[in-house]
Amino acid sequence: MAASMLVQRTAALCGTFKGISVSKAVRPVNSHYGFMLQTACYNPRPLRLDLRGPYIPDKDSIKTPEWQKTARYDRKLFGRYGSASHIDPASLWPSHGELEKIIAEEKQWHPPLEVMLKNIEAKEKEKTEKRLAKEKLIAANMAKMPKMIEDWRREKRETKRKLKEEKAQKAKLLAEARERFGYSMDPRSPKFLEMVAEIEKEEKKKKKLLKRRVKEEQVAAPPVAQS
Amino acid sequence: MSFVKKNGGKAFDVLQNLPRITLANLRPEPGAKKAEKRRGRGQHGGNRSGRGHKGERQRGNRPRLGFEGGQTPFYLVIPKYGFNEGHSRRPQYQPLTLKRLQYLIDLGRVDPTQPIDLTQLVNARGVTIQPLKRDYGVQLVDEGSDIFEAKINIEVQRASEGAIAAIERNGGVITTSFYDPISLGILIKPVPFFMRGQPIPRRMLPGEDMVPYYTSAENRGYLADPEEIQQARRALAQKYSYVLPDISKDELYHMLAMRKDVRQIFFGLCPGWVVNMPEKKILKPTDEKLLEYYSS
Repeated sequence: MAASMLVQRTAALCGTFKGISVSKAVRPVNSHYGFMLQTACYNPRPLRLDLRGPYIPDKDSIKTPEWQKTARYDRKLFGRYGSASHIDPASLWPSHGELEKIIAEEKQWHPPLEVMLKNIEAKEKEKTEKRLAKEKLIAANMAKMPKMIEDWRREKRETKRKLKEEKAQKAKLLAEARERFGYSMDPRSPKFLEMVAEIEKEEKKKKKLLKRRVKEEQVAAPPVAQS
Repeated sequence: MSFVKKNGGKAFDVLQNLPRITLANLRPEPGAKKAEKRRGRGQHGGNRSGRGHKGERQRGNRPRLGFEGGQTPFYLVIPKYGFNEGHSRRPQYQPLTLKRLQYLIDLGRVDPTQPIDLTQLVNARGVTIQPLKRDYGVQLVDEGSDIFEAKINIEVQRASEGAIAAIERNGGVITTSFYDPISLGILIKPVPFFMRGQPIPRRMLPGEDMVPYYTSAENRGYLADPEEIQQARRALAQKYSYVLPDISKDELYHMLAMRKDVRQIFFGLCPGWVVNMPEKKILKPTDEKLLEYYSS
């Protein structure tokens, strides 16, 4: 790995990085007390750096604990003592292998902004499409509603009417039976059923006669019209 | 000889001739000091000492809070609903009122001639951020917007519309930006981070759920288009009915226009640099791969 450069601190550039000194800025303030010179300053906590007897653990000895031989501890030593810790500053940055790992991890877990925007757009589109489809369905069904209501009402009316008719028919038959036999009998009994069958036969005959008459009239009427 | 009139008059003379102030001459304002309630002493504090007559009350054996004598208590009758579900995973933003910001500026704890960052606010002890408690930064609340009068370049993590309007009305600039938890920890405590000897990391982009917030111009997001932000400034000025001051003609225009890069944590420090406190030096990497990674 290439060696790193040592650069002097660029205090003028930064606005937030302040060293051990007190930061001060003077600005004129127009307040209702008149023209007053106000100083903005905060007193940073003094950095107590003890560089007289730096503790740098012996890497080769067995007695030093394992955690003092790690790269992380080396970085901390460098951060605390600087060049007095005799640590190669190039080791502070990740090696090529570690860097590749970091890049792969970032690619997997932190997609770039364009990808994220695309995902968001796709999700929004899906949502709006779903919503539109649902609304369309609702609108179509609502348009069908009047007809469906009419159909349903008609059905109801029909069934009601049929029920009424059936009832009337049954009542008529019962009355007929009562008239004939002189007492109200159970509609399920065989006599009643025979009576019903007789009535039906008579009605059929009547119908047949009617039909014949209608046919005769038809036959009679056209020849009369022709001639 | 001209006659110099002294203001104060007789009151001033009296004041001059009064004796020196000592403890013997001072007395608290009537009503300032209230006598303490001493239980078990005297006719009124003694006897049952304010505990009542017999029973659990006097004997200190009352049941736990919420117990209703056996009836299902209120806090159990109400069924559970997921109001607090996942509350410990929700991002929190410490509120900062404009009133407090004005207070800090007036006292000189925050410097309005430099861009105001979260680091500046924490240094001024204006807010306390706990990144380990799911704090993602500071949000600007428009509580003192009517008394706010300072032209500042401020960067927060969230801001309400009224706060944005108040800052821009006074000719300032506001930006909302995202800091992931590691970057936030570095931002609020830079010196302990520099003592660790690690290179300054890159700031990560917000997650998918926060990207719409930081790309919209209405929130002055740091990922938004500058032209859209200009339009939004004008629209807000119209909405809140104030005249939008022209910043480009300002003397502090250069300071007001300072903004951080998307991946930058500190002004003036790029990701990848190592800051050495004991020797007051900055170390920069020269390897191409490292440079490529840190500047992407």
